Amino acid sequence: MSKLLRKTLRIAIWPAIIMIAAKFLGILGVSALYNLNYYIDNQVEGIYSVQICYTDPASTIFVNSMSNIIMLAMLGIPTFYLMIRTLLYQTTFQNPRTIVKITKLNLLKWITKKGTSFLQIFIWSSFLVIASTITVAHSIQGNGYSWTGQMAFVIGILAIWGTMKTYQLETDKIYPKENIYY
Amino acid sequence: MQNKTSKIKDIGAKILEPVIIVALVLVFVIPILSVINISPITRQLKKLDVLGVTTQSSYVIDLVEGKHRVFTSEKLRELENKDTFEYTTNIGKRSGDRYSKPILKIRNKGAESKTFIFDGSTAVNTKSNILLNIENKSYKLQGDNGITHTQEIVVKPNSEITIFLVVESLNSIQFSEEFKMNISTK
Repeated sequence: MSKLLRKTLRIAIWPAIIMIAAKFLGILGVSALYNLNYYIDNQVEGIYSVQICYTDPASTIFVNSMSNIIMLAMLGIPTFYLMIRTLLYQTTFQNPRTIVKITKLNLLKWITKKGTSFLQIFIWSSFLVIASTITVAHSIQGNGYSWTGQMAFVIGILAIWGTMKTYQLETDKIYPKENIYY
Repeated sequence: MQNKTSKIKDIGAKILEPVIIVALVLVFVIPILSVINISPITRQLKKLDVLGVTTQSSYVIDLVEGKHRVFTSEKLRELENKDTFEYTTNIGKRSGDRYSKPILKIRNKGAESKTFIFDGSTAVNTKSNILLNIENKSYKLQGDNGITHTQEIVVKPNSEITIFLVVESLNSIQFSEEFKMNISTK
């Protein structure tokens, strides 16, 4: 059995759980915080038979937007954390200035190899891009504020850019840039 | 022996690999579907065929109900914009005559007179007169020529009125029609 497949599955479970939990708890949390009345309908329309319903469109848009932001934050924070860590970790190999800066900031213990694999970043950013796409789709459909869609779009682009940058760093390890060394 | 064990392991791995691929696909698909499905939607609470509608204001509108040969499937519901109600009934096929039935009871609990506006019609004109009858006074809603009329009825403070729906036609009507009436307050 492929080790890569097993590792991918193991890594993918956490962002999957976080994505569903953040959205669901976001809806419940925002409704409780702002005292918004909702009801659960069980008309079979989608894949699931349970649907959270609000009686006025303003509440629906507000709760949908806020829960989308919570979902994006819950996926975005770990993704960008992993990206920054990987970026710093890889840069320390090539740039002594970075090591000096990190030492000055007392972050040497934080910059370790742990959690800097490309696979991990790729999977986390995939979920972040999926969450961003859903948020943008909600905005286009009028089920969310337009600014949440714009914000999600920027986050999605940043996630893709970060993943590509990490990929570039990984490939640099195998095929180092000649101009750095010569 | 070791060779046999490794063979079994190989077969197991070959069987498990597609299962893991499916599981991996599901790990990506399930969150997408879940998030799309749990996203809240706007839906009005189901309007039930209510027997009476009580408003926060000082009046109550009740459906009289009861069985009638011509007037069936009576419904009364409050519309989204407050203080507006919709009464619907099915007027069945009938021979040329005058038919009436008590349909609504309006109780004004307030200290001031309340004016109710009635606006009703059928989708198809069957050359019938449709009227409201209140305390032996007739208020025409739709004439036999199809022209509709809006009627205003004043209910005195602390009093109750019973509204009769009347339909009259000279000829036999061979099909049923749906009558819809909006009730609003002034």
